[in-house]
Amino acid sequence: MVLAFLAMGLSLQAQSMEDALKPVTRTYAFTNATIIPQPGQQVTGATIVVKDGLIQAMGTNVSVPANAKVVDADSMFIYAGFIDGLSNAGVPRPEREQNGPSRGRRPDGVNPGDPPRELAGVTPEKQVRGELKHDEKSVEDLRELGFTAAHVVPRGRMLPGKGSIILLAGESGEDMLLAEGVSQFVQFSSAPGVFPATVIGVMAKFTELYKQAEQMQMHMEAYAKNPKGMDRPERNEALEALVPVVNGELPVFFMAPDVKSIYRVMRMQDDLGFDVVMTGVKEAWHVVDELDGKNIPVIVSLELPDPPKEKKKKEGEEEAMDEEMKMLQQRASERMTEFESQAATLAKAGIAFGFSTMEASAKDIRENLRRMIKNGLTEEQALASLTTNPANMLGLSNSMGTLEEGKMGNLVVTDGNYFEEGSNVRFVMADGHLFEYEAKKAAAKGDPNASAKIGGSWAYSVNVPGQTAEGTLKLTQEDGEITGEISNSQSPETTDIEDAVLEGNKLTFLAPIAMGGQSITLEFSIVINGDEMEGTVSVGEFGTFDVEGYREGTPE
Amino acid sequence: MKYSILFALLLFFGVSLQAQTQTGSMLIKNGTVHTVTNGTLENTDILVVDGKIQEIGSNLRAPRGAEEIDATGMHVMPGIIDAHSHIAIDAVNEATNPVTAEVWVGDALDPLDVSIYRALAGGVTASHSMHGSANAIGGECETIKHRYGTYNPNDLRMVGAPRTIKFALGENPMRVHGEGRGIQPATRMGVEQVIRRAFAEAKMYLEAKQKYETARQNGDNTVMPPTYNKRMETLSAILEGDIIIHCHSYRADEIYMLMQVCKDFGVEKLCFQHTNEGFKVAPELAEFGAGASVFADWWAYKFEVYYSTAYNAAILTENGVTTSINSDSGELIRHLYHEAAKTQRYGGLTDEQALALITINPAKQLGIDDRVGSLEEGKDADIAIFNADPLSIYAIPMKTIVDGVVYFDREEDPADMRLDVNPEEVMPAFFQDIQDHKHENCMQDTYMTFEELFRG
Repeated sequence: MVLAFLAMGLSLQAQSMEDALKPVTRTYAFTNATIIPQPGQQVTGATIVVKDGLIQAMGTNVSVPANAKVVDADSMFIYAGFIDGLSNAGVPRPEREQNGPSRGRRPDGVNPGDPPRELAGVTPEKQVRGELKHDEKSVEDLRELGFTAAHVVPRGRMLPGKGSIILLAGESGEDMLLAEGVSQFVQFSSAPGVFPATVIGVMAKFTELYKQAEQMQMHMEAYAKNPKGMDRPERNEALEALVPVVNGELPVFFMAPDVKSIYRVMRMQDDLGFDVVMTGVKEAWHVVDELDGKNIPVIVSLELPDPPKEKKKKEGEEEAMDEEMKMLQQRASERMTEFESQAATLAKAGIAFGFSTMEASAKDIRENLRRMIKNGLTEEQALASLTTNPANMLGLSNSMGTLEEGKMGNLVVTDGNYFEEGSNVRFVMADGHLFEYEAKKAAAKGDPNASAKIGGSWAYSVNVPGQTAEGTLKLTQEDGEITGEISNSQSPETTDIEDAVLEGNKLTFLAPIAMGGQSITLEFSIVINGDEMEGTVSVGEFGTFDVEGYREGTPE
Repeated sequence: MKYSILFALLLFFGVSLQAQTQTGSMLIKNGTVHTVTNGTLENTDILVVDGKIQEIGSNLRAPRGAEEIDATGMHVMPGIIDAHSHIAIDAVNEATNPVTAEVWVGDALDPLDVSIYRALAGGVTASHSMHGSANAIGGECETIKHRYGTYNPNDLRMVGAPRTIKFALGENPMRVHGEGRGIQPATRMGVEQVIRRAFAEAKMYLEAKQKYETARQNGDNTVMPPTYNKRMETLSAILEGDIIIHCHSYRADEIYMLMQVCKDFGVEKLCFQHTNEGFKVAPELAEFGAGASVFADWWAYKFEVYYSTAYNAAILTENGVTTSINSDSGELIRHLYHEAAKTQRYGGLTDEQALALITINPAKQLGIDDRVGSLEEGKDADIAIFNADPLSIYAIPMKTIVDGVVYFDREEDPADMRLDVNPEEVMPAFFQDIQDHKHENCMQDTYMTFEELFRG
């Protein structure tokens, strides 16, 4: 993930635990803020005091302790820290084994009909504890968005393991851990070239394991009562791990993004009778009545389909669109609206859901929330889905989800309404640890009526937290065609820019860079005023950073 | 009163009631009605009430509010049934083991598959969605009705249809497991042994279960049941006569072999699929009571399928074998009436015999002939209406009706019938879709490279 930044002569350094403000004191006071203690409530001119990781006092008439570090939060908003309903935050991706089998191929020497259970994906006993890393980028990304706790599950295939509750701050992986074994995670993920290699294999295997766990439970009970004359129960870690599930003591968080998966999970749940939480749903608008009727809790995915890219029309080109194309476009756009209004549809039906960041790219999450709100989700419902709902679903409402005295010091401080575009997360407090963030510059808008001569050699710099990258951008403008190349001060290599478009004084272009077999496209959006430039560069999933620069030389 | 108590009890015990599939009422007036089981009736009406055929006769009256379809000059036949297809499922082959009786394609029905609508446009109202032929014993299949438009996979199920399972003989399981992995079955003999061993193990499993039951009945609580094994559960249900075997087969010697294996294990419900050399063992098939579901004239796509004839269906029929013509393809499924008509050119079957190949006979092979496959009072209103005799090359399907509901109407046939629209992709991948339903997709999901497939 560092690759993209290497190309720009940067190393990746988002704010990590080491950069957190070193606690001279563990007492903090945010003063004169607009506090949203829970969805639907708001107190202005209020102060909140967090001491030793717990909320000590909150209100308009709170005295600030003398030893408190005071943050003047005038005109800022303070919300309870968000809770991620399910993700792999803090759990590193397994590194692909050297010379190991490529994707979709089974390893040598394995009987595909009867593979080791780890390869089959049957590890229901697994916990994240041993794997958690406090400095994973996923932890930092989520925290920067305002998440302070997460329900995390191991990575894997059909039965990856059990869920844990972690706080998104800590000195070590273990330090983040709040509770273990709070759920069983299941997904329709098949194994590479071994049983179960298909969704029907996964479903058959799950049913078989479930019934075997029921048998084991029965056997263990009978044996505990009177072992005389009876074979002792077989020990089997995987089946033993499923016993709490068949006993209805542990909810199954079943990944069911699409409508077919949701129906499949509902049918399996009908047949077998486990407690289910429909997780990561993206197409639940088809099944609102069924979910409501069966009282199935829901966790909505924060991922949405990508909005269509605006096709830039060239001057004077009138795109002739036939009826069929129009109809296809109409259907795609109707479908998009269904995805975007899923959350609102569920909320209108009275279903209280949480959100999952699984599969969602951190850089899209706030925009996706705004798209859901634009399509009918109220801000209050959105906030509840980030705070109180997941707290209730995960049994955490005594310690988090709202801002109350005695609850954990989990909060997010913004310089505007969190759900409005342009607002920035300025502070996040997770488990009493304070993290500070810079305000992002609003993307330069540009003036479509202005004109700009862009040819020449430009020196640019890119600001990434804690570091600055510099380089040169050479641009040529001939007969409306813009070409150019970009380089950075750390490397002699240059990259040709692509798709450069100048509208008024706003220049956009792409710079595809290939590093270590991976290709990443840098997307620049720059406004040019005379010999100065200012704008942003988006680096895939890593985020958007400010760019500025000036003209070093003009073309001959 | 009695019913409401029953209903309350069901609710109380949390029994989920099957989602009610939509049914309709209608009167189809004045058509030429091919009943298939009771001759062809001119100028005849069919009254459909709540999804069932209530009356066939003349001068019938439509119930209030019911649609009236004027079938003057039209031909009305039972909805076509395809005994072998792979449409509407998300997985075809669990190709990881020579025996995978534990899987069931009905677990992964795909109601969004536009192939269902294409089949409706060919007058097909029900099909047998099958596991593929990579394994000697594949998975359980599902008999579906083409209720296109639902997002609920369960709505496709023909509830109450008997369980069926896919077996496969010959080159496919030999290639995947023998050549691909160097294990049994590498030969046709090996395929027989795989099946025999599976049955023998299932027998032992049944015995162990019976031993447990007996001990329990005698008050002995120290005995535990055999470890639940889904594969054995399915295989023992075959031995107990609860599942119909549908076996992918080409060569006569193998067809004969499987009948002997089934006899040895007391298995009676057997239908052969493809059965290209069925004509060589037609009397034996008839004697056993096995069905044969064949192609009209499709062969020579691999070595074991060279010895074939377009007279196959006619020879089997004349020998008293319950014979059907199937598609095994999202394309052929759209014109099974053409395929049936070919038996009149090759074998001179009567209209009724030819139509039976795609209606009542596949219904018999799937164990659903008491409900569909012919136009009879009391049966499901699964009906196809053509503008001409369905065995004519000029015939065009006009309306297709399932449970008394019109699912295809040529007069109202929207350009875009997709249910699953990708919002990120304005131009749908039609070509990919066509690829998905190309021939031989009964080898779909097998993990093999081209080299492995054609090696040696």
